[in-house]
Amino acid sequence: MQSNAALEYDYSVAKLFVYTTIAFGFVGMLIGTLIASQLAFPELNYLFGEYGTFSRLRPLHTNVIIYGFTLSGIWAAFYYSAQRVLKVSMAESKFVMFLGKLHFVLYMIAAVSMVVTLLLGITANKEYAQMEWPLDLLIVVIWVVWGLAMFALIGIRREKALYISMWYYIACFLGVAMLYLFNNMEVPTYFTSGGLGSIMHSVSMYAGTNDALVQWWWGHNAVAFVFTVPIIALIYYFLPKESGQAVYSYKLSLLSFWGLMFVYLWAGSHHLLWSTVPDWMQTMGSIFSVVLILPSWGSAINMLLTMKGEWNQLTENPLIKFMVLASTFYMLSTLEGPIQAIKSVNAIAHFTDWIPGHVHDGVLGWVAFMIMAALFHMAPRMFKREIYSKKLIEAQFWIQTTAVVLYFTSMWIAGITQGMMWRAVDEYGNLMYSFIDTVTVLHPYYAIRALSGVLYLTGFVMFAYNMIKTMTSSREISEEPQFRSPMA
Amino acid sequence: MFHWLEKRPFFFAVGVFLVIAFAGLIEILPNFAEAARPVEGLRPYTVLELAGKEIYKKDNCIACHSQLIRPFKAETDRYGQYSLSGEYAYDRPFLWGSKRTGPDLHRVGNYRTTEWHENHMLNPPAVVPGSIMPAYKHMFTNKADIETAYAEAVTVKNVFNTPYGDDIQPGKEAFEKHFKSVVLPEAQKIAADMKNQDVKDAVAKGEIPEIVAMIAYLNSLGDSRYAAKK
Amino acid sequence: MDIRELQGYASFFMTIFLVVMLYGYIVYLYRSEKKGEKDYEKLGNIALDDEIDSTPINTSDPLSEEKKEQNK
Repeated sequence: MQSNAALEYDYSVAKLFVYTTIAFGFVGMLIGTLIASQLAFPELNYLFGEYGTFSRLRPLHTNVIIYGFTLSGIWAAFYYSAQRVLKVSMAESKFVMFLGKLHFVLYMIAAVSMVVTLLLGITANKEYAQMEWPLDLLIVVIWVVWGLAMFALIGIRREKALYISMWYYIACFLGVAMLYLFNNMEVPTYFTSGGLGSIMHSVSMYAGTNDALVQWWWGHNAVAFVFTVPIIALIYYFLPKESGQAVYSYKLSLLSFWGLMFVYLWAGSHHLLWSTVPDWMQTMGSIFSVVLILPSWGSAINMLLTMKGEWNQLTENPLIKFMVLASTFYMLSTLEGPIQAIKSVNAIAHFTDWIPGHVHDGVLGWVAFMIMAALFHMAPRMFKREIYSKKLIEAQFWIQTTAVVLYFTSMWIAGITQGMMWRAVDEYGNLMYSFIDTVTVLHPYYAIRALSGVLYLTGFVMFAYNMIKTMTSSREISEEPQFRSPMA
Repeated sequence: MFHWLEKRPFFFAVGVFLVIAFAGLIEILPNFAEAARPVEGLRPYTVLELAGKEIYKKDNCIACHSQLIRPFKAETDRYGQYSLSGEYAYDRPFLWGSKRTGPDLHRVGNYRTTEWHENHMLNPPAVVPGSIMPAYKHMFTNKADIETAYAEAVTVKNVFNTPYGDDIQPGKEAFEKHFKSVVLPEAQKIAADMKNQDVKDAVAKGEIPEIVAMIAYLNSLGDSRYAAKK
Repeated sequence: MDIRELQGYASFFMTIFLVVMLYGYIVYLYRSEKKGEKDYEKLGNIALDDEIDSTPINTSDPLSEEKKEQNK
């Protein structure tokens, strides 16, 4: 091993993913705000003809946020932090560099095709796995390229001990690979029918109840391995680094890792309570969802205790604010999820707005907050300039926090109202409300949610502006900051 | 043992994989054969209905409509008999949905008519005051992709042994024959119950607008796919 | 024995096995730290001291180190 004085970490791939995080984040949240408004004001469905209806746009919103914004953010942070915790620069290996760039190029092709096909209505129609088979194949290739880049980087590392974040990245890689392959098993109809019909079309290998099981095994774990596992990887690196405090308990982080791995996969069938899947499996899903609180809270408490004795940073450093609130929202949604998975609660909550409410306090409060904080932390080190405006971050923080609170409170009320009205009977045992009664009653809550969408989007635009200014015109810094990110 | 594992990232990765794969293996695989069995008397979707199901997928109806009636009195009162596993044996993919912004549709064919759907798709609030469902006017002009639906029927027949008749065969010729002798007459029957003149004209010309296939599919949800109950 | 029964036994014993493993790991973690073989908490510093020229916590390949120990 020779030491080279001029050797530096190479952030070129990480930078590319930073740009796409901002772009996809804006597009995804814009569509989200639009479809939230459509539920309150249905006239908005007719802005772009057939391509502007709620139903056509909804998968676009979820896919752009999951596979555009979140994955970009994870990969930006990965190509930044993996080098640092392994103490090896990507510039040291042409192979890793090539893989990193190939990863980005293929990813962009897939992302653009995804947007186009979903708008055209070319879809396999399984939630969060809507892409048709040619795109699925491309995604497999992208995933393999990422895996190769990760293991190649691990192979040439100087720090032989793997930091906890790397464990989570590896788990993300393996988990998604397995689940994605199983769930997207499909037969393209063009080849089996002697060249008839659309070449894009395929049928699922599984039918009915089986398909539902495989789908929710995936659907739930897409949440686990895209929205939870890699985001924990992020917070385990960025929170200690930004605050200058080592993880409170490294042992606890190892334990919650294994606990999470073991328990999470079982919980998938809680999406299918009261359905036609076997009873014992539903019960299993219920029980393990509750057990899941332990490892989730293990991680979250570990993060909060990392700040022990340094709580003053919470008032001084807005990035710490973002990250602490993110772990708090993580605790909230990992408590809320198991509550919804209890069979009797699920009977009311399932199919109602409480579910999107739950997803969004996780995604807006935990995932997006953590990714934005990570990007803010990386910016001064990547672009060698201080963050453009601290005031703007503070304002953004409060606007977006208000937005999240409005979102989940309105959806709680909406969900429970609707769930109770569906089952309400009068003194003779007849249903009290027709279905449309349970829709019209939700109008005010839908309007509040649309407002919260507008607020969150506003916050995101402030974030994007702040980032772009940081990249281009903020004051340059000569030395890389060690812990706290410098901001004007 | 743990000492050994901690030093070997490869075996560590294998360990992670086994732990996460374990749940799936035990939970899902053993039930496969059982859950795939259809209830007695259930027929597969016709090609026209399959084309309708494609439109249901294309316009992503599952964003707001479920096809799963849970075993509660409030649900069976509202939507009919609760759903059985075997009723979904020919559903690839399953279309249970996860959100009811609109009502459940698993048995909608039992209580809604062609005429009702035609009016409703064109302008939902005119039929159900206060409805927030968007109108799907483009279904009246877009043509349904019957060929792809036929390709799907051929595929599920040959790959998954779905019980279709002998006239479902690969190749263009077999398709044209099936289209003329089975699909078109079925579409004409639905068009006869509709009042939109453009749709009637198109079907008379041998073209099938999306709305016709869509209504065929919606009507098939419920008792009409059971030989005995019809 | 039908498949249902097998499934039940498999899930029961696998669950027990994994729970034992997890608790075994907890015991292992604390014991090896007590004996002074390992110091897990210092691994937390990997994130803090992550300049490319800073000294790694573990420099040599753990596998070759183990072999050396065995050869002693």
